[in-house]
Amino acid sequence: MGSTLLVSTRKGLFVLARDGVAWRVASSAFLGDNVALALADPRDGAWYAVLDLGHFGNKLQRSDDGGRTWAECAVPAYAADDHVTTGDGKPPRAAALKLIWALEAGGADEPGRLWAGTVPGGLFRSDDRGASWELVRSLWDRPERSLWFGGGKDEPGIHSICVDPRDARRLRLAISSGGVWCTDDGGASWRQSAEGMFAAYMPEDRKFDPNIQDVHRLVQCRAAPETFWAQHHNGVFRSEGGGAAWREVPDVQPSVFGFAVAVHPRDPATAWFVPAIKDERRIPVDGKVVVARTRDAGASFEVLRAGLPQQHAYDLVLRHALAIDGSGERLAFGSTTGGFWTSEDQGDRWRMLDARLPPVHAVTFA
Amino acid sequence: MAKVVLASALSRWLPEAGGKPSADIVVDVPGSRLDQVLDGVFARFPNLRGYVLDEHGTVRHHVAIFVDGTAIADKRRPAQALGERAEVYVMQALSGG
Repeated sequence: MGSTLLVSTRKGLFVLARDGVAWRVASSAFLGDNVALALADPRDGAWYAVLDLGHFGNKLQRSDDGGRTWAECAVPAYAADDHVTTGDGKPPRAAALKLIWALEAGGADEPGRLWAGTVPGGLFRSDDRGASWELVRSLWDRPERSLWFGGGKDEPGIHSICVDPRDARRLRLAISSGGVWCTDDGGASWRQSAEGMFAAYMPEDRKFDPNIQDVHRLVQCRAAPETFWAQHHNGVFRSEGGGAAWREVPDVQPSVFGFAVAVHPRDPATAWFVPAIKDERRIPVDGKVVVARTRDAGASFEVLRAGLPQQHAYDLVLRHALAIDGSGERLAFGSTTGGFWTSEDQGDRWRMLDARLPPVHAVTFA
Repeated sequence: MAKVVLASALSRWLPEAGGKPSADIVVDVPGSRLDQVLDGVFARFPNLRGYVLDEHGTVRHHVAIFVDGTAIADKRRPAQALGERAEVYVMQALSGG
């Protein structure tokens, strides 16, 4: 079971360790700096941290000794003639790296390979642990890219990258707002696969356009990799078709709006969500922090609240801020107001971390 | 020759700064244009380029460069002529938060 957590916050990276059944802050790095997300690479034990420095741009740091020392890597870069054209009427502009919004390890048979999803919408590949990056032009050059929107950001962004545990050439990406994109050949060719999703807020004739779907988060079941769950802007969707042929899951309680989703690594029917009221009011329903859990593929939901604040709580949980460990027993999530909770029993009971953290961007087990 | 001052907010990210995270760095760099002088500084501190410039060579939005007390006029093409013994300050612009 996961016994280390990496918590990326507005003012530093915090490493949490288990202390009996409780967790405590064991160490920190980059205190005072904006850490967007972190990756613990299961292949070689390396930790990566994305720094989104307000003045100096995005930086990538790597630690090969469990966070004791860090060294700067390279970051993805766009060429002078790369442009961002969006489908929401913004004028075209030169592409420049705004944010590394997803960072994932390649397959077990691909040592050194990393994938980075970025705002403004480019996917990058590194084959040398981040020493250099290459834009995946086969996706960047797709004409459909000009239909994508910014969702929450000014420009489109790739925030979810699922590497198939059976075959690392199979990737599934989610883009806010550009739907779901699939490759089965390591990125040589791509297809859009958000069919079945709908954008309730769009004009009727664009509602089902896969290229404008605002997927907030996409996750894949490790033991049943054909099953994906997506938290979308206006609901939850599920795929049993390898990230295609999506079906709405309409009965998430207490709300279908949210950002984060986690799927049990061995049970594709079990998933967790942290709902907020709705787009225009991104706070918990009735000021109560709850987690919604389904064990029957979305047919029904339990609302889990034991140990979570049930009055005057205005915590929002961002898309990367809910994590599940490899056993499927332990969960952890952090909020934009610095709340942090862990569960040892699939969410039945939660324990609050004894710390007042900065706003939490991302949580991952190491 | 120009005197270049790198503010402490920048120097803390430079491995070559040698563990003095809160101090400004002052270096003398040859060159009669700003781009030449910046290239000279980047040769000495290789990772600094990405902190001062974006991938297209534009001075980052929240970075300020002052030459002899005046902010540079062209952040897209920071290549203005420099006088003898010019003083170049590279610093973070103010921001909230």
